[in-house]
Amino acid sequence: MLEITLDKSKVQEFLRLLGQSRRLFAPVKDRMGTKFSEVADPSLVCLDGLNTNLSPKEVVFPQWETLYTFKEDQANEVKLAAQETLLFGARPCDARALELLDRVFTWEGIDDPYYLRRREKTCVVALACNTPGEACFCSSVGGSPVGEVGADALAFDLGEQLYLRALTERGEALLKEASTLIEKATEEDKQAVQQAVAEAEKQLQPIPIPEDLAALKESFDAEIWEDLGQKCLGCGTCTYVCPTCHCFDITDETKKGVGRRVRSWDSCAFSLFTLHGSGHNPRITQAARYRQRVLHKFLYCPENFGEAFCVGCGRCITNCPAGLDLRAVLERLASLAKVG
Amino acid sequence: MNQVEETLRQEVAKLLEDGTIDVFVGHEAASLPLRTSPCFVRSPKEVDRLVWNRICTSNLATYLPQLFKRPVGLKAEWTPPKVGVVAKGCDSRSIVGLIKEKQIPRDRLFIIGVGCEGMIDRHSVGRALGVVGLADAKVDGNSVQVIGTDGEEKRIDIADVLAASCRECQHREAVLSNLTVGEAPSSAPEVSHYANVGEFETKSSQERWEHWVGELSRCIRCYACRQACPNCYCEECFAEETAPKWLGVTTDLSDVFVFHLGRAFHQAGRCVDCGACVAACPQGIDLRLLNQKINKDVEELFEAQASLSLEEAQALSSFRMEDDQSFMTEP
Amino acid sequence: MTKEINEKMSGNGWEPRIVAFLCNWCSYAGADLAGVSRIQYPPNVRVIRVPCSGRINPLFIVKALQAGADGVLVSGCHPGDCHYISGNLYARRKFALLKSLLEYVGIEPQRVHFSWVSAAEGARFAEILGKVIDSVRSVGPANRMIKRFKEVA
Repeated sequence: MLEITLDKSKVQEFLRLLGQSRRLFAPVKDRMGTKFSEVADPSLVCLDGLNTNLSPKEVVFPQWETLYTFKEDQANEVKLAAQETLLFGARPCDARALELLDRVFTWEGIDDPYYLRRREKTCVVALACNTPGEACFCSSVGGSPVGEVGADALAFDLGEQLYLRALTERGEALLKEASTLIEKATEEDKQAVQQAVAEAEKQLQPIPIPEDLAALKESFDAEIWEDLGQKCLGCGTCTYVCPTCHCFDITDETKKGVGRRVRSWDSCAFSLFTLHGSGHNPRITQAARYRQRVLHKFLYCPENFGEAFCVGCGRCITNCPAGLDLRAVLERLASLAKVG
Repeated sequence: MNQVEETLRQEVAKLLEDGTIDVFVGHEAASLPLRTSPCFVRSPKEVDRLVWNRICTSNLATYLPQLFKRPVGLKAEWTPPKVGVVAKGCDSRSIVGLIKEKQIPRDRLFIIGVGCEGMIDRHSVGRALGVVGLADAKVDGNSVQVIGTDGEEKRIDIADVLAASCRECQHREAVLSNLTVGEAPSSAPEVSHYANVGEFETKSSQERWEHWVGELSRCIRCYACRQACPNCYCEECFAEETAPKWLGVTTDLSDVFVFHLGRAFHQAGRCVDCGACVAACPQGIDLRLLNQKINKDVEELFEAQASLSLEEAQALSSFRMEDDQSFMTEP
Repeated sequence: MTKEINEKMSGNGWEPRIVAFLCNWCSYAGADLAGVSRIQYPPNVRVIRVPCSGRINPLFIVKALQAGADGVLVSGCHPGDCHYISGNLYARRKFALLKSLLEYVGIEPQRVHFSWVSAAEGARFAEILGKVIDSVRSVGPANRMIKRFKEVA
């Protein structure tokens, strides 16, 4: 597939060109480092950050959206056409997360139209990492700083220029739209990329991950959960910054006989997450809720989808107000498996 | 290790050994630089986990009420534990507030007060680094040596990255304690009380609105601010109540305003400006600018500050016949 | 007087919509007395009767603004006259803080009003209400806190 280079001085023009027929989502500077934002002016795009503080999942799975509106006994589905979108500069972990989300939202043949209508119109140009972020561990959970999963094209920052490799037909078509700005990648460029790949991969220290599912099941009653549950504040920060977390709540909002049904992000860390109408809450302690979060990602999702639902982006670690570190938890769980 | 840390560990070991306390809540080093994590020490052998330094930002009072709740489903005899905790000035005020509001029992609490010169705000360090990440940091006297993920080293004065609430802090020693460790802090607040509020009040109505729209549109409704706050101990928050439904659960801007106005108002006369909400917010929203406004009004209108003593009722639980009513509409 | 102002300023047809929370024992009775005494006052107000001004949850006022009220009036008994002895005295503190806070976040101060009206003060009620309506009229239709149902792709 197409391999090209783009002079860094032309990136803005490239994005402006592609943004003419699309919504452009790219990283911009933010008080927390960088964040993904819908960008009208490509001069604001900043590719120098490590990774954004919030994940780009909101491009396909927004914090909230209206499912349908209703008036008395009439419901009207919100049939807003999703726009063509270019998600530019997502790191390979975030791109891979989109592929994991795809599995959830099409699970067992049930297609989530709200997710899919956005996902189908989103072209992902990922940006490979030259330096790991503050808490990155993608290579330990089946990912890679130069991974291609979930992306339509993969870019490499080679200093003076970007190298881009199309991965899908959509990616190739996208790059061809900018034919006046791009150049075919030379052998030298490709060598530089190989070098970058090698450099990136060796910077990550592997961490132990509990992969023995039977042992993880056994850990259900282990003391570790009480220890961690004490520290966990029960906010939704880890869930909301996570690129693979996808739980949502559905609520109705009404105003004088007219209303809308909305879905919005929810977190299993919240105390009300499993509160039943009867008043019973099967996960009444924070320990139980913290355990749920970790086991969902590392036990139940592997059982259901064949892979852990964690891409190692480290955002939950850098953002946790209580200083909890998932890597330490995983290490303890992995060692429990060895002992038990 | 510093003197305070060493003494703290020794004292806690003694308290655990002689049975004065069953568990001690303190800070321990977290894995990332410039971070600590709450620590629950139950045995004298574990006291070496405890640290005391310029990054003990979190307000440990948040963790106290849950320790005094009977474990759900426990059918056996249970008496509440005796709990020890290390407290800065702000933490101790939160503790006073929780005792007054009957969320924790004074007689089962052993407070070790420590004087505080102010804690480092990691968000400030982050801003000093810009788009570069923090690879490592070491606090050294009055400065912190930081190494960015680009390999560059920088020495930053702690004074430049002090938490905003610390810059303004009027209560640097514990207001309630069983034991004090370390010396009384010598420095005075750098910033005059409510300076940020005073400055904000010079803005026009339109400017104020635009500022809050800008700030609150960053909110993702993660509730980190609420969970980190020791005063927010309600088992069902107004934001989650469905009968009546006060506000929606989304980031619809109108609902976000209702949430923050409601939460700030629920703190009226109770907020001790510990800064936990600001430190917890993953979006770096300056919530203090809202809470301090109410604190300022409470002080000016009712001559009260939250939770300084066990004897005084909180401002909204009391009244005076002569309370100001100049704000009221007359024909 | 209010009728003239009404005529002058409602050129575009907009009329302020005020929500008034009135305490049952004093202000609501006062409003009732205004009615019984045939004292004219503008029709822009929707009254909600509460047992005591102390019952007012500040969120009521915030929600009224969210629902689209152009202005809110809360009225209770004069200090010392509360049917429940001190409800209005606690309320006074809450209202002082709330008015200040709403102004601080950019809600025009002309929109939110608090008053004391006794059961015998029908005329006073009408006067205060007129003043509130004029005050709200001067800042136009509310457009800041309103929750709008507009659907996004």
